[in-house]
Amino acid sequence: MFYDDIELGTRLITLMAAAMLVVQFLMVGQRLLPTAIRLFSLQSLFLACLAGTVAYVNQARHVYIAAALTLLLKVIVMPLFLNRILERATEKAEVESHLNTPASILICGGLTLVGYMVAHPFIKPHERGHSTLAVATALFLMGFFLMMNRRKAISQVLGLLTAENGLFLAAISLTYGMPLIVELGIFFDVLIAVMIFGILVYRISEIFDSMDTNKFRRLRG
Amino acid sequence: MPLIFLLLAPLAEGLICLLLRSRLLMERVSIASAVINFVLAVIVARHVGRYQTMSVLNGFLFADAMSALVVLLTAFVALMCAFYAVSYLRADLEQARISSGRLKEYYTLTPLFVFAMFLVALANNLGVMWVAIEGTTLASVLLIAFYNQKPSLEAAWKYIIIGSIGISLALFGTLLTYYSAAHVVGIESIEGLNWSRLILEAQKLDPKAMRLAFIFILLGYGTKAGVAPMHTWKPDSYSEAPVPSAAILAAAVSNCALYGIMRFNVLTSRCLGPDFSGSLLLYFGIGSMLLAVPFILVQRSIRRLLAYSSIDHTGIMLVGLGIGSSLSSLGTLLHMVYHAISKPLLFFCAGNVQQKFQSAHFRRIGGGVINVMPVTGTLFLAVALAVTGTPPFCLFQSELTILSACFQNHNLWVGSIFVGCVVTIFAGFLYHIGQLNLGSPPRGVAPSESDWWRLGPMLLLAALVLLLGFWLPSPLYRLIQQAGQIIGSAP
Repeated sequence: MFYDDIELGTRLITLMAAAMLVVQFLMVGQRLLPTAIRLFSLQSLFLACLAGTVAYVNQARHVYIAAALTLLLKVIVMPLFLNRILERATEKAEVESHLNTPASILICGGLTLVGYMVAHPFIKPHERGHSTLAVATALFLMGFFLMMNRRKAISQVLGLLTAENGLFLAAISLTYGMPLIVELGIFFDVLIAVMIFGILVYRISEIFDSMDTNKFRRLRG
Repeated sequence: MPLIFLLLAPLAEGLICLLLRSRLLMERVSIASAVINFVLAVIVARHVGRYQTMSVLNGFLFADAMSALVVLLTAFVALMCAFYAVSYLRADLEQARISSGRLKEYYTLTPLFVFAMFLVALANNLGVMWVAIEGTTLASVLLIAFYNQKPSLEAAWKYIIIGSIGISLALFGTLLTYYSAAHVVGIESIEGLNWSRLILEAQKLDPKAMRLAFIFILLGYGTKAGVAPMHTWKPDSYSEAPVPSAAILAAAVSNCALYGIMRFNVLTSRCLGPDFSGSLLLYFGIGSMLLAVPFILVQRSIRRLLAYSSIDHTGIMLVGLGIGSSLSSLGTLLHMVYHAISKPLLFFCAGNVQQKFQSAHFRRIGGGVINVMPVTGTLFLAVALAVTGTPPFCLFQSELTILSACFQNHNLWVGSIFVGCVVTIFAGFLYHIGQLNLGSPPRGVAPSESDWWRLGPMLLLAALVLLLGFWLPSPLYRLIQQAGQIIGSAP
């Protein structure tokens, strides 16, 4: 059967990691917030599939749980929640960045290179196609870049969540995930964090009449 | 058992306060629970002082002298803040800065906040510790946004964004630590991140991964501790949060973050030798101290002044850790204790002044605080001297210990910069607090002192700040010594 083939499993994993990277680049170039949220959901879907494959290929049972939680929370619940906040905070749903799109993409290309350089010492030569760690580091860095580059509060949250996806990918590729209790704790924290982000975004858009964090100018020095 | 109760008590308090309606009941529950927490923390500390360690639930919760010390300090700070908060929030309610519904938010979130801090110190698993540190951020964000004004929302947003970036760096560091231990402890075992296991195998960890892990951990938890240049959230949060929450943030949460750094520092220095992590800690420590100096000199607001002072103190503790001798470890922990006692007092004084004069800006307050509020004014002067390391107060002793460890190890440059920073900050502080206190008060401010809810804890803290410099109760001193042996990098 095809799924007994470890070679194929590794190739599938690399393919899905690559797909995550492509989605990340799409997100950097994306101008509409609802689409950005959908892209995040898509990226998480790839992540969940990847985790499932890793769990199957390596017979690591607890990774199935992590995969299922990713599917439930990051593919379904969080995007729905973010969409609801977006509807409530009535504003034109454009992303608005500090840098323009070509410059952003160029920088993200550079960050991908940095990711490969950081991951290089950890890639063992006998494990072919084990470049998921490099992709993970790249996602992590690009997530931070998105947070800094975006002006709207919600798109900063999206940046953070993709960085989080990168972390999870790194965890899977390095050690087949963290111990289960830690992983559950992380999921719990991320969920609460997104809810608190939601509350804050809502309050900010009420009081500032905008989600644009560029209007934050009061606290200096 | 006390370990489990220590975690259950604040959780229960939070739940009860969520269900309560009356303000009086919430106040009583919060004080009762703070007292219970403190008693439990003392029990744990005594037990650990006698038997070195304790653990329950198959080693899921684990306390040695270091964790017991952090728990004790956290419980103490929370206790003082619980008393102070009663009067402070009542005044806020009277001045219509908040609605009565907001009170419930404070009384529900604060115990969760305390719970997360206890879990940081008691979790054996470094991954669970990470979850708990993230938990302290999440529990405190809405406390910073408490007043729901533009600046407070801005501060809360900055706090959660910078905090989340920091904490995900720390998660990456934790992950790399897990990876570096995987070939020793084996993958997929919960033990793979347990401190009690890792410390035994520290020499066998993968050095390449550990080096990278420590950098990420230092950046990540350093953000939480407010180390420069990741400190930018600190002045905003400390000046916008309600005073008791700000005091907890400054005196307790920074300890928890430092606690995380200390644990990883031990692992790293046992794996790679003390030089690598030690010199990194020294750089960041000295950097934080240097950064605080100009901002303290030209500061315009009391609360932001306190924030920069706390960045300076974090820097001092990192320097102490970085030197890595047994003397400097002792000095660092003494500093941690003394700082946790003096910082809340400083915040309480600032809170009294701010509520009385309706402003935290030196310009707008004008001066003459000591005429308007004699007790607060006097304590403010005294504690300002104390936090800048003036004798006869206790912080002088700990700073001197770190400094002498510095010269003992021939770190002449570090020692000289240290002295320079401390002296300049002393001058800056004295200038600001002197101007605030002396002179004639603005017209229309009637002299009146705060009530005993506030003066009680403030006088107690002031007594401790003076007393502990001369006399440490011997069980406490033994606990600090034991903890010093744990964090001292030499195996």
